[in-house]
Amino acid sequence: MIAAAVALAVLTILIKGAGSLLPEVPDALARRLGGVAPALLASLAYVELVDDGGAPVLDEKAAGVAVAVVLAWRRAPFGVCVVAGAVVAAGLRAL
Amino acid sequence: MPSRRALSAAAPIVAAVGAIGVPYGVLAEASGFPAWLTVLLSMTVFAGSSQFALVSVLGAGGSPAAAVASAALLNTRYLATGTAAARVLPGGRLRRFALAQLVVDESYVLGAAEGTAHEPDADTTIVSGALLYAGWTAGSLVGALFGQVLGDPETVGLDAALPALFVALLFPVLTDRPAVRSALAGLATAVVLTPLAGEGIALAAAAAAGLVAHRG
Repeated sequence: MIAAAVALAVLTILIKGAGSLLPEVPDALARRLGGVAPALLASLAYVELVDDGGAPVLDEKAAGVAVAVVLAWRRAPFGVCVVAGAVVAAGLRAL
Repeated sequence: MPSRRALSAAAPIVAAVGAIGVPYGVLAEASGFPAWLTVLLSMTVFAGSSQFALVSVLGAGGSPAAAVASAALLNTRYLATGTAAARVLPGGRLRRFALAQLVVDESYVLGAAEGTAHEPDADTTIVSGALLYAGWTAGSLVGALFGQVLGDPETVGLDAALPALFVALLFPVLTDRPAVRSALAGLATAVVLTPLAGEGIALAAAAAAGLVAHRG
């Protein structure tokens, strides 16, 4: 357990810092890096909603996230989206 | 110092990340992690999704090697954000290497909002990263120490808060067509690859797909 924690810490520190140790990337590639954040955020949200086999699950959590999507699309403030997502999931579970 | 606008944008994100640290601490405790190790992971790894992955795979009886591999793969996306941040972080290589530890999904997006995606604002990224670091560590500590008192995080919907947080961060970055194309490419990649290759590879491939799809 401790060895696993140390291994993950070392790997993560190296991954995060790799860009600082390597030479600067050319401008053309750097501009493309602008596509990383939207792609990551969309995929990070999605992988939170799958089961162990990687298939999407339509449960209370997904319902909460769907509400967050609508709110974010309507430009609701950040905190409103997150709290609404959690409250909807909790409310449906309490029913 | 980051602008007042950047700080007020960061405040609710720091609060949400702190709140999500609590279920991480609870899960780690349930998986048999001592509180000091749970918090030490937050202070050294500081990458929530990979910490969730590590403690849940180990808690489910998975091998340490499999747990570390899946958790580390989740962080390969930071090769891209770290490369973008390295262009603007101050100081020599060592200082930039240290500051790059504060570049996580949320601080990178906040910095990009103040600068550009390939040249995020350094002050905003660093200061919001430091605040997120404090919030995440504090949340982990609360979860690890008081998990049993707090009960199941799912009853208050904390498990939905993390994907809701990503969604709330996503929409503000969809400012032009290339960004929308990248988001759709990343999403499609994740949908197809998650069942075939697992989350870590799917996320790294999604980041790469976003890079390829980003033609302006």
